[in-house]
Amino acid sequence: MENYLVAMAVFAGLYALLALGLNVVWGMTGMINLGLVGFFGLGAYASALLTRAHRAPIVLGLAAAALVTAAAGAAMALTTARLRGDYLAIITLGFSEVVRLVASNELWLTNGTDGISGIPGPWRGRVTPQTFNVVYLAIVALAVLAVFALCQRIRSSPYGRVLRAIRDDDQVAAVAGKRVIVFKVQAFAVSAAILGLAGALWGHYTSFIAPDVFTPLVTIYVVLALTAGGTGNNVGAVLGAALVIFLMEATRFATGWVGMLKPVQVAALREALIGGALLVVLRVRPRGLLPERLARS
Amino acid sequence: MAQRLSRRAFLEVGVTSLAVAAVPTRVRAQAGAIRLGTLTPLTGSGGNYGPSMLKAMQWVAGEINAAGGVLGRKLELVSEDDQTNPEAGVRAARKLIDLDKVAAIMGTWASAVTTAVAPLCWESKTFLTTVSGSDTITLLPHQGYLVRTQPNTQLQGRKFAEFMVAQGSKRVGILAVQAPFALPTQKIVGEELRKHGAELVAAVVYDKDKTTFRSEIDQVLRARPDMLYLNGYTPDVTIVLKDLYKAGYTGAKIAQAYAVNQKLLNALPPEVTEGTFTIAPSPAIESAAYKRLAQALGNDDLDPYSCQTHDHISLVALAIAHAKGESTGTAIRDHVRKISQGSGAHVESAVEGLKRLAQGKEINFDGASGPCDFNEIGDILDTKFRYEQAEKGKFKLLKIA
Repeated sequence: MENYLVAMAVFAGLYALLALGLNVVWGMTGMINLGLVGFFGLGAYASALLTRAHRAPIVLGLAAAALVTAAAGAAMALTTARLRGDYLAIITLGFSEVVRLVASNELWLTNGTDGISGIPGPWRGRVTPQTFNVVYLAIVALAVLAVFALCQRIRSSPYGRVLRAIRDDDQVAAVAGKRVIVFKVQAFAVSAAILGLAGALWGHYTSFIAPDVFTPLVTIYVVLALTAGGTGNNVGAVLGAALVIFLMEATRFATGWVGMLKPVQVAALREALIGGALLVVLRVRPRGLLPERLARS
Repeated sequence: MAQRLSRRAFLEVGVTSLAVAAVPTRVRAQAGAIRLGTLTPLTGSGGNYGPSMLKAMQWVAGEINAAGGVLGRKLELVSEDDQTNPEAGVRAARKLIDLDKVAAIMGTWASAVTTAVAPLCWESKTFLTTVSGSDTITLLPHQGYLVRTQPNTQLQGRKFAEFMVAQGSKRVGILAVQAPFALPTQKIVGEELRKHGAELVAAVVYDKDKTTFRSEIDQVLRARPDMLYLNGYTPDVTIVLKDLYKAGYTGAKIAQAYAVNQKLLNALPPEVTEGTFTIAPSPAIESAAYKRLAQALGNDDLDPYSCQTHDHISLVALAIAHAKGESTGTAIRDHVRKISQGSGAHVESAVEGLKRLAQGKEINFDGASGPCDFNEIGDILDTKFRYEQAEKGKFKLLKIA
């Protein structure tokens, strides 16, 4: 039981990282990124390849993942500088599919659809699976704390105020003398780095990645997490991520509560319950559980 | 500026965390029940197969329990959905392993899900049985905690080569779609052909989204093959067959049964498909196990995966019985080959096998999917294949062997 809760806390932490990363670019800067799973995957592959094939230490893998995805994010922001709204959403969605297709087809690098297994984890194999779980929870918690602190710092700084100005009206921000494109590129890079870090941590935790892991389903879960938690609010991002994992896991136990249901019906009902619960949240609290509250200065 | 939680927000967070604490631990089963996990794709792209795979396992568990269980202990199945997604599959497997403490997880379908779940299983000494076909799965360092009942590329390639040689082919050409199996199949077919004195004279890999394959076909035909192996999926093989007809190719053709299916025969004029051979792994449809399962599920034409999961749970139950009731993943690992192969009495149902074991006899279980004999890395040694040939737009069964 404890081990299961610890494992789910790890997944909640990883989702929290993803939601925080999305919040930087979407919640704070107003650029939609529906390709976040692409950055998630890119980070996972970067770290896995480096630590597995080149036997680099995991810390180096994580750093490389953040760097590679930050560069990819910056490149994406530059190439899509003139796009916004739906058009940006489509391009980013396309990006994540490109990452998945490259991972499926470039056998020499990614081992194709078979994926990469045996990715090292900190002390994996040298301690019991239970201890590994707890150690990993500590690492993920630390990462969430650090990223959360960074995001809060960005949010409350004058820098964050510029991002919000761009979100609300980038022409006004430009007129006020801010170089909008620079801020957009930086925000995209920071966001992508966080997403990449989450991907790398996912790979080192489960020890296996494959193109099939990085499907748009994950993007949808994270967008839902942030929307339910409160777009623009870092506490909301973490809370929303925890809520989505809680809903996904709690609905497993529907068999115990409802009885009489066959597993196939439970499986279908689970998806309906998750969707329904999020609908309720958004109906009752359209701006999320913890709406963004702006500081008055 | 620090964020302050409003009273309402605090209440909501509080209620959520209370609800987490209130999740009831699963009602404890009657003492001594043996808990086994099923992890099949009930939703997602495998959703067509998962429900029937699960039903097959539930039926076997019901039969075993009705006959008094395994050494007097009932089987209790805990079923989870892997959503045909590795991420969801890992979470579901964690629940089965950590919360339900199952001795075995049975029925993973997608190769990516199996590869993602396998490390959790061997690390926590839980046995895993799968129907995934990817060659790499059994090469994982699974320490024996994994067996699979689906033939891998090696076995399928060997069967294709043997059949082509039996048809009198000396010069074989391959047209394959770009997919993980393309190159491994090509390699194994080439090796097997050479063993039988035949030759792989040309092999071309194509991109499946092209609208014509004339240049690829010309390239293969230049080597004057007398047999063409069309290793693709239905949409591209449809075009290849048309282009081959237009190119005037009159030699033999062979394809996977999932590519050249009845739908394809209906879509093309009979003269285009005439004589095409198909091969597919087949359940052991003549076996008593298959017939009983088909009757129980009310389906005369069972898919291979349901037959395989029928065998998974039977093997697991028999292994536990052979281990004198020790219901752990390690015991299953150590005993599964002692009831699945060897010189023991041939049995085709778990109930019958349990009876024999109780009498102190050794058994050799053969299931609805085939003989269920495993090599040291968990691959099946042999399975039945179904050989068919297109004749006037219909399939004619040649043999099941």
